[in-house]
Parts: sequence; structure tokens; C-alpha cells
Amino acid sequence: MKTWKQLQTYLLVTPQTLVFLLFLLFPLLTIFVVSFWEFNGYAMSPALILGNYKAIFTPVYLATYLNTFKFTVIVWGLALAIAYPVAYFLAFHIHDLRWQIGLFVLCTIPFFTSNIIRMISWIPFLGREGILNQVLLNLGIVQAPVDIFLYSDFAVVLAMLHLYTLFMVVPIFNSLVRIDRDLIAAALDSGASGLQVFKEVVLPLSLPGIAIGSIFIVTLVMGEFTTVRLMSGGQASSVGSAIRNQIGSLQYPQASANAVILLLVTLAIVVGIMRTFDIRKEL
Amino acid sequence: MAKFTRRNLIQTGLAAGAVLAAKGCANSTDQSESTEATTETTTEDGPKSPEFNANHSKDVTLRFIGTGVSQINEIREKAEEDLGFKLEMRALSTDDNNQIAITQPGQYDIFDGEYFSLPLVIPSGNLRPLDVKRIRQFDKLVPIFTTGNLYDGAPVNESQGTAPRKVMFLTGEDSTEFADEPTDWATLIPFQYNADTLGWRPDLVDKEINSWAQLFDSDFQGKTAILDIPSIGIMDAAMAIEASGLMTFSDKGNMTREELDQVTEILIEQKRNGQFRAFWKTFDESVNLMASSEVILQSMWSPAVTAVRARGLPCQYGPLKEGYRGWGGGIGLSRNLSDIELDAAYEYLNWMLDGWLGAFLGRQGYYSAAPENSKKFMEDYEWAYWYEGAEAAEEILDPFGEKIAEKGSKRDGGSFEERMGNVICWNSVMDEQTYLVQKWNEFVAA
Amino acid sequence: MTKPKRSLTFYILAAIFGLFVLFLYGPMTAVVLLSLQGPEGSLTFPMRGFSFYWLVSVFGEQRIGEFVTPFLRSFALGLLVMALSVAFSVMAGLAFRRHFTGSRFIFYLTITSLIVPSILVSLGIGIAFNILGLNVQWYSSALGGHLTWTLPFAFLIMLGVFNRFNPTYEEAARDLGASDTQSFWQIVLPLIAPSLIGVAMLSFTLSYDEFNRTALISGENNTLPLEIFGMTTNVTSPALYAVGTVTTIVSFVVIAIALTAYNFFMRRQP
Repeated sequence: MKTWKQLQTYLLVTPQTLVFLLFLLFPLLTIFVVSFWEFNGYAMSPALILGNYKAIFTPVYLATYLNTFKFTVIVWGLALAIAYPVAYFLAFHIHDLRWQIGLFVLCTIPFFTSNIIRMISWIPFLGREGILNQVLLNLGIVQAPVDIFLYSDFAVVLAMLHLYTLFMVVPIFNSLVRIDRDLIAAALDSGASGLQVFKEVVLPLSLPGIAIGSIFIVTLVMGEFTTVRLMSGGQASSVGSAIRNQIGSLQYPQASANAVILLLVTLAIVVGIMRTFDIRKEL
Repeated sequence: MAKFTRRNLIQTGLAAGAVLAAKGCANSTDQSESTEATTETTTEDGPKSPEFNANHSKDVTLRFIGTGVSQINEIREKAEEDLGFKLEMRALSTDDNNQIAITQPGQYDIFDGEYFSLPLVIPSGNLRPLDVKRIRQFDKLVPIFTTGNLYDGAPVNESQGTAPRKVMFLTGEDSTEFADEPTDWATLIPFQYNADTLGWRPDLVDKEINSWAQLFDSDFQGKTAILDIPSIGIMDAAMAIEASGLMTFSDKGNMTREELDQVTEILIEQKRNGQFRAFWKTFDESVNLMASSEVILQSMWSPAVTAVRARGLPCQYGPLKEGYRGWGGGIGLSRNLSDIELDAAYEYLNWMLDGWLGAFLGRQGYYSAAPENSKKFMEDYEWAYWYEGAEAAEEILDPFGEKIAEKGSKRDGGSFEERMGNVICWNSVMDEQTYLVQKWNEFVAA
Repeated sequence: MTKPKRSLTFYILAAIFGLFVLFLYGPMTAVVLLSLQGPEGSLTFPMRGFSFYWLVSVFGEQRIGEFVTPFLRSFALGLLVMALSVAFSVMAGLAFRRHFTGSRFIFYLTITSLIVPSILVSLGIGIAFNILGLNVQWYSSALGGHLTWTLPFAFLIMLGVFNRFNPTYEEAARDLGASDTQSFWQIVLPLIAPSLIGVAMLSFTLSYDEFNRTALISGENNTLPLEIFGMTTNVTSPALYAVGTVTTIVSFVVIAIALTAYNFFMRRQP
């Protein structure tokens, strides 16, 4: 009986595991192997060379990595700054459950629509002849259209915030609503100020939520290439877009080497976050 | 015979070809003649067998890959109507198009690509060398693609880079080696090409544009764009750099590593100074940039210029003193094609040179590979405007019916000979291609 | 209970929340407005004319390509991904109610799938297929790519559902002589049905809108997001925005159907 139960468990978990082995683990291993292969200008061939990795440690590629970090840090910081108040408002200031669900759904709906469309929707907004510049010109705030709204780092960060802030809102909201209200009441009763309650009770208890949100933002932004390309007018670069360009010119081994490094860096950050905050209880 | 439409004829021709092939007596060197001959005999034999076989060729679907430049539904519809079999078209970016041509041979039957990509695509062995004897209009092709001698003394005869004449022919039926002289085995059958130059918005640019060097003019800081396709972008950059006197090249079409280093350095400096507004990969992106006034001066492709004009915005596409950068596009066939599908593909190649397509694309400013044939499908005033550089006797419309030039205006750059004759370099794949792509990516990443 | 007095903090936070919602929806409005221009419309403001011309044109043929087939393809793929995600995650969720050797490995494998940058999944599957000599297709490689994105979400939700699941109903059923299969179909499934609606809807929309993991592996036939991305480089008319408007409406309809279904099942809960 016991062996049947065990067998049943393994059978149940087989389909999902197979999907990950075939479409995640095997492809990642392939990338790793190919990253040591050679490229002759139009085709790759098996080899064991380190040249693809050496090419990454040149000033230009290191600058690309730094640029990717820059986007990650800025988007992460701003997303946190926006998401926390939003989640806090929903969790603590909306008391009617129906309102809470309603407003929450309102925030999540755009998440279910096409990312590409959401991205390009900024273009008529930010361009030289876009709405924002028209308004600024009409109000007399600027004399000539401002160029840096579109095809700039500003545009990239804005679009990423638009796409990804929600990934920060949801986990923070999730951890905030789980905080025992009696705990807060008790703290207030014992004479703590609102700010103290926030610092001593609410913030520490919401850290796991922040950590999960941060993991999402880091992994999403580190691998970005579409937003970077569309919103910077092809001018900015990230590791993702460098990989995409290398694939475009068939340099799979070079792209694979970049992918391996990107994966290691991303995993290092994620493990760092998981070591610092115990997120297990949020799952 | 009068009731026989072209479509019927081709269907029966194809069917007959297939029958012959099945009987094992098809002679590939003689295919076109023998099919024509059998067409008549089979039709005389009675309707039964051609009808059966026509149904057969109706089931053929040829899958195209190409760029948005010519993967246009109007073309597909017209070809399907005339030929009687189906085409599937897929518009890709130049990079993706080449990538699929090389790495995914199972995904296409027909490769609509540029000549410069051939040094990368041909070694993959995915394309079938084309038997030029099966191309009925082969002798009508402009010499740019064959001998390379457009007219005596034309600068294009000595042009640098991956000129079509250098990659047009293979040494044999199973070869992947380019031939120096015309042979019977072609890589692509050409259908469109042009002389590219700078385009600008005359309403927003208030000085004369006459040199590639002006791409780096500080008056246009933040208002120029460059193409992010290494093999093309590098040539525009080289033209601008050479014209500015920043450096000289021994051969722009085949730079050395040192030259590539230097070019990249200059480009990065321009980029850091904020000279460029954007980088683009497909010509429609350049249209959007130009039409929304984000960019006012950039290297452009002809249909992009006509598209900007079709929106009622002025756009000039001028001759520059250094000359033009040329490109050529053609159709190649996948090695996977066989039997009836291969015959259908050859029929498409013949249809392509018949003139309708050349006229259609000609109204966007491209040149036809068999200009005499296209002339038959164009109005006299259209031909005079596009090919002879004459004043437009009537309003000039693009293939989609939008007005793109006033009565009395002239084509920028003049006649076919003046424009194509002054092509001094072509889009290029260089010996140091891997290094070029690496340096180009560094420029984009900088 | 008296209504708590609204503090200054409330109004500040409410203002931030309002701005956030505006930030989320604002640009979409621009797209919807621009897609309602007349035939002479262009990609930027001001609006030129007003009509449904471009919205209607989405269903017809474009100058390059068309949208109906990629839409149907994405819809079919979405349904397939949805069915597989729900089935696999429920099965895995049931298995994870017990501890078993290898459960940690499978758990971390799932988490990894969620946090590996999407382009790596796409690149990896692409190269792996290439080396194995297989053709990439939307129903093979892209399906796999989508599952690596939807399954972790579905699995984590199911873990939460089974954590909260009260096993007494099941035990009662078993005491009454029901087999495992019977107790699953008659007891467990109806109880977790509302959550399954959530998982199904999430899987469908994640797949329907997925771009990054599909980018290199959809093969010769594009999914809708890929077609739209191609359009950003190949289209110079408001048809681009019209597609945006139409796909957004589709997403909204899916959400509405899911919410209705959810309410329906919730009302039938014991």
C-alpha cells in the first residue's frame, strides 16, 4: 500500500517535472555547452574554447552589464517607492472587502493585456509632437519640445515601471494583509506612535513581500530586451539586447556565453535576496 | 486558344512538366521549351488529363520569407491570381530573414533576400543553384547583375563591397563557390534594387544637403538616425566618415580590423555627442521616425521616402556628391523543393520578371531587374518620371493609390543611369564579418 | 463600529493610488483614441477624423500580413497551455501534500523556471531544437516555453490552495468507501474549482500575451504578440493601435468571463 502511495505521488509529479527537465534544464545545459563552441562567421561547430567568455570581459560589454544593473537598480528603487504606498493604502486604508478586491483588480487588469501594446502606447504620449510636449508647450513651461521624453533612458525606465511595478505591489499587498491587526492595536495601546508602529511592526513583517517583489523585478529587468529596444529607439543596450543582436547575426556561442554570465549574475542576486530575507513562509 | 488565360496555361504547363518528370524524361536544361511544347499537345489531347493535373498544381503552396519591403499582400494576390497556386508570405527584419535562411531551412521554400547576405547564406547549402536556362527573361536582366558593366565608364562598374556581380553566379550545379564569370548557375534571380542615399524633411532642414558628411553635421544634433543592420549601417557610416575627411579606406567594402576599430571609435564619439535620435532595423521604422519629425535627416530606403510623401509630408531623397550606396534583392529557392513545387517556384521566378511586379515596385522608387518588361506595365509618364528623370506629366501615385509627387516635379537624382551609375559601394559582408558584427554591437551598446 | 476618521495619511496615500491607476491606464487611453481615427489617421496626435475604420481593418488583410490567423493561433495555444497548466499543477499539488524524496529539487526547479530571464529560455530551447535537428513550431517549442512560464505560477497557487484545504471532507468520503479517484472528482475538485478558474485564467492570459519566451521559438507561424511586435517595425498606420485596442478588449472579456465563473462556483460552495 505504501509503495503504491509513493508511486502515485511520483506519477502525479511527473508531467510537471518533465516539462521543466525538457524545456528548462536541458535547454540551459545546451546553452552552457554551446558557450564553449566556435563560430566561423555563419555557423557554429563543437569545440572547447574560452574565447566567447573572454570577449565579454572587454570594456564595452562590461559597460553593457553596468547599464543593465543601472536599469535594474533604478527600476527596483522606483517600483518599491511606488508599490509600497499603493499596497499599504489598499491593505490598511480600505476597510470594505468589496472595495479592496475591486481596487486590487483595477490595478491588476493592465497586467493581463499585451506588454507590447502597453509599451508602444507611450510613444504618442512622449514624442517630440506627443501629448506631454504639447501640454508643456501650451502651458509655456518649455519653449521647445523636450527630446529626452522618448528614445532615452528615461523612456526605458518609465515603460519598465509601467510594466513591472505590479509585480512589486502584489507580494507587498499580500504580506501586508496577513499582518495581524491585533498586533498593531496592541502596539498602539502600549503607547507607540503611528510611525513607530510602522517601523517596528509593519515594515519588518512586510520585508518578505518586498523580497519576493524584488526578485521579480530583478529577473524581469535583467533579461529585458524589448523595452530597451523600443523605448530607447535602439540606442540603449542591455545584456538581453546584446544577446538578441548576437543571435540576429547567428553568433550563438557568443550569445550563449553572455547568457551563462547573465544567469549566474541574476541567480547570485536572487540567492542574495533569499539569504537576507526568509521568504519561505510567504509561499 | 483565346479563352485560355495565362493562369490556365501555366497550370497546364506545370502539370505537363510534372507528368514529364514523373515519366522520367524531363530534361532540366530544356524544361521551359519542352513544357511549352507539351502544353499545346496536352490541350489538344482533350481536357481530361490537364484538368486533373491542374488541380494538382493548385495544391502547391510556396512559403516565402523576406522583409517588409516586398512581402506585400497585393503582390501575393496578383501572383496567386496569375499563377494559380498559393503563396504564403512572411515579413521579417533583415537580420531574422538571414538567420532563418541559414538556420531553419525547413521553414521556407523561397528566400527573398539581399545579395549581400549571400556570402553567409550560400555556405549553409540551403539554397539551390538556379538553372538560368529555365529563366525565360534571363537575357533581359540589367548588366549590374550579370557582367557588372552598366555602361562604359560608369562608377558602378568599379563599385566596392558585396556587389551583385560578385555573388550572382556559382561555379556549378552543386557548388557553393562563387564564380567570377557568368555561368549557368545563379544564386538569386534579381527583381529589385536601388541606389540609396540620404533623405530629409525640406520643411525642417534649412540648408542644402549635398554630402554624406552632413549625417554628422552638428546642426542636426539629435535629429539624425542610422540603420542598425551591421552590413548596411557600416557602409553608410563609411560614406559619412570618408566624406567628412575623418579617415580614408583602402576598400570600404572590405575593411581591415584596424579600419573597423577606427570606424567604431568615430561612431561611438558621434553617439556620445548625441548626434543620433534613434537606430532602426526596418524601413517602416524610419518612416515613423521621419513622419513624426523625430528625425529630419537620415539614410533612407526608397519606399520609406514615398511612404512619408504619401502622408502629405515633404521628403527629399537627394543625390550626394560622393555617390550612392547600392543594394540588390532577389529570390532564391530552397534545396528542399522538388518536383511540382520546384516547377511552380521556377514559374514564380519567370512571373516575377514578366513586368507586373517590376512596375508595382517601381512606383515606390525601386528599379526592376528587367526594366524593358516593366515598362509595358507602366504608363508612359510614370516610366519617364521614374526611369528617365523627366518632369511628371501627371500626378505620380504610389502602388497603393496615394499621391507622392506633384505634376511637373522631377525624381530626385535624375535618371536611372545617373542614379544607378553613381553607386560607389554596396551593402557588404566583409572578410572580417564576425569582427565587424562584434564592433557594431559595441557601437550600439556604447 | 464607527467609521474611522480619515487622516491626512489617507488622503496622501489615496492620491498616490489615484496617480498610480492613472499611470497604468493613461497611455492605453491614447492608444484607444488614436485607433478611432478616420482613414487618414496617423501614428501621432492630433487625431485626424473619427471612425471605426481601423478597428474594422484589423479583421481584414493588412498591407503586410494579417491578424486573424495569429489571433486564432494564440487563442488555441492559450487554451492548450491553460489545460496543461491546470492539469499538471493540480497533479503536482496533490503530490506535494506528502513529503517525498526529490520534492525539494522539484520545488527549486519550479522556482528557477520563474526567475530565469525569459530570453534564456527562448535561446536555450531554440539552440536545443536546432542541435537536435527539430523544427521549432508554435505547438511544440513555443508550447514548452509557455509552460515554463505558466506552470510555476499555477503550481505555487495550487500549493497555497492545498495548504488551506481541509482534508476532513476527503477522509469522510474515504470512510464512506469512496476510492481515491471518486473522492478526487466528487469531493476535492468541486472544492478547489474556484481556484482552478483563477489558475486557468492566469495561465491563459500569461500565454496569450507571452512574448519574451516565445520570441525565438515560435517557428514559421507567429503568435499574436510576435505579429504585433513585427508590426511595430512594419506598420506605419493606426492599424497598430487598433490591434492594441482589440486585443485589450479580448483580455477584458476573458477576465470578465473568469470573474463570472468564479462567482458562480463560489456561490455553490458548501
